[in-house]
Amino acid sequence: MRYPTKYDSFVGLEIHVQLTTESKIFCGCRNRFGDEPNTNVCPVCMGLPGSLPSLNQEAMSKAYLVAKALHCDLADTCLFERKNYFYPDLPKNYQISQFAKPLGTNGWIDIVVDGVTKRVRIHECHLEEDAGKMIHAGDMSLVDYNRTGTPLLEIVTEPDLNLGEEAEILIHELRRIVRYLGVSDGNMDEGSMRCDANVSVNTKGAGLGRKVEVKNLNSSRFVRLSLNYEIDRQTEILEDGGTVVQETRLWNENRDQTIVMRSKENANDYRYFPEPDLPPFRTTPEFLADLETRIVELPLDRRVRLVSTLGISQTQAEVIGEEKANADYFEKVLEYGADGPTVATWMTGDVQKLLNRTGQSAAESPLTPERFAELLTLMAEGKIHGKIAKTILELVFEKNKNPRVIMAEQGLEQMNDSGELAKLVSQVLVDNPVAVEQIKAGDTKPMGFLMGQVMKASGGRAEPGMVQKMLKEHLG
Amino acid sequence: MDIAELYTTAELAQIKLEDSEVESLGGEVSQMVAYFKKMMEVSVDALEPTTHAFIKKNRLRPDTFHPSTLADDILEQSPDLEDRFICIPNVL
Ligand SMILES: [Zn+2]
Repeated sequence: MRYPTKYDSFVGLEIHVQLTTESKIFCGCRNRFGDEPNTNVCPVCMGLPGSLPSLNQEAMSKAYLVAKALHCDLADTCLFERKNYFYPDLPKNYQISQFAKPLGTNGWIDIVVDGVTKRVRIHECHLEEDAGKMIHAGDMSLVDYNRTGTPLLEIVTEPDLNLGEEAEILIHELRRIVRYLGVSDGNMDEGSMRCDANVSVNTKGAGLGRKVEVKNLNSSRFVRLSLNYEIDRQTEILEDGGTVVQETRLWNENRDQTIVMRSKENANDYRYFPEPDLPPFRTTPEFLADLETRIVELPLDRRVRLVSTLGISQTQAEVIGEEKANADYFEKVLEYGADGPTVATWMTGDVQKLLNRTGQSAAESPLTPERFAELLTLMAEGKIHGKIAKTILELVFEKNKNPRVIMAEQGLEQMNDSGELAKLVSQVLVDNPVAVEQIKAGDTKPMGFLMGQVMKASGGRAEPGMVQKMLKEHLG
Repeated sequence: MDIAELYTTAELAQIKLEDSEVESLGGEVSQMVAYFKKMMEVSVDALEPTTHAFIKKNRLRPDTFHPSTLADDILEQSPDLEDRFICIPNVL
């Protein structure tokens, strides 16, 4: 924002989340991305005469679950309505959506901006059917209706955000939430999460300004760029004494700017009316009890807990807490008695490197939480030191065996028998008379070299502390 | 009924309206709207608003998919195809 003392900016988001279900929301067609065009279609989702919708209970559960996670008041009765408009991706010429009685209202989501928690109010969550997909090719458009009628949850925030960066953070947090809940993959590239925004700028303290809608934001980066572009554009208009025109604009990713979208005067008159083919949905005690069993600790709460109670760093918590499966895995290792910060260091370091190499997730790798803890125990017991632990870790991935077994099979147990070590040290001193003379003459530099020679002679197994002590005794 | 409202309604419904039709249609629509007015006179204060007169229970379907056996028949209805895409004039 160019003149932060002179103007306020306000941003609200409308985020569409595709729910992962087996079937579509009102018919039994398969809900799956990437199938051949127009294979998952039937008379219901194609709006053929005489067909009737019937509501998918799983779509309803997942939608309510998100509303619950966003701290909304859950409607005990919600209603589907017809939103009427004409567009080729919408075969019925109306979209079944919610208007007067959405399933969730009055919620909030916390985001962390520069280390400070900011609460953004959620206006409402409502469930609707998605439209088809169009590919524009010259003077033709190609339509694929596979996505038509798949369950889509729309989340509308209040204009509590102020900058593009905050909007981007909110989208990332929401993505984590829907993934933690297992209701969507939150993948913006594949369109499972899509975003429209509204922006206004006004003189400081004067409240909301004239709202401009920005559409076509299909990556979180575009959300940030387009909103900041729009805030600057509107600020400049006000600065020049002008008035912002209330309009809809599109983000043009090739030109890095928003451009006006021409729209018909009456385009926003959707003439909503209750869907006569669907009775209202009423929550039941069983339905609400089921939601209780499905709700999980939210990603932000989990990151905060990992840092405050387990003593790991903020960055480590962000890496480990990004995916629920990873955070679960981490805490599983701790259940075997391992120490939080040590596990976190290994998990975000050497273990992560190996996982990247094998393309596996921690949970599906040969390194079970039990083996992970065992490896750290071997170190804590003084049986191996860090470098050998890394070797054993690699062998766990390679051989799919327990660390203790690998240590025994490969003879990797630390050498801390003083008699054996003394022999090695004496031999190294005999073999390196020049270094020994130098040290005796007062130059301690070759000490590290001798140390290395002993470690090498022991195959890396000598206990470094003992070796150092012995060398000092001989040369001190 | 206001003639401008009639034109707006026709436009929203994507119906082309000839000037010659305006008078007769305007009268008919006015009659319908008048009937709603009559219904509005009935006192409903004591009634719980509903969109359905008789369905009181939820009607839900388990989340299982069925093969779309009619997909090809539906596609055959389209006047213009490219592979399995339906071709339409560009609307952008
Ligand atoms: Zn269908």
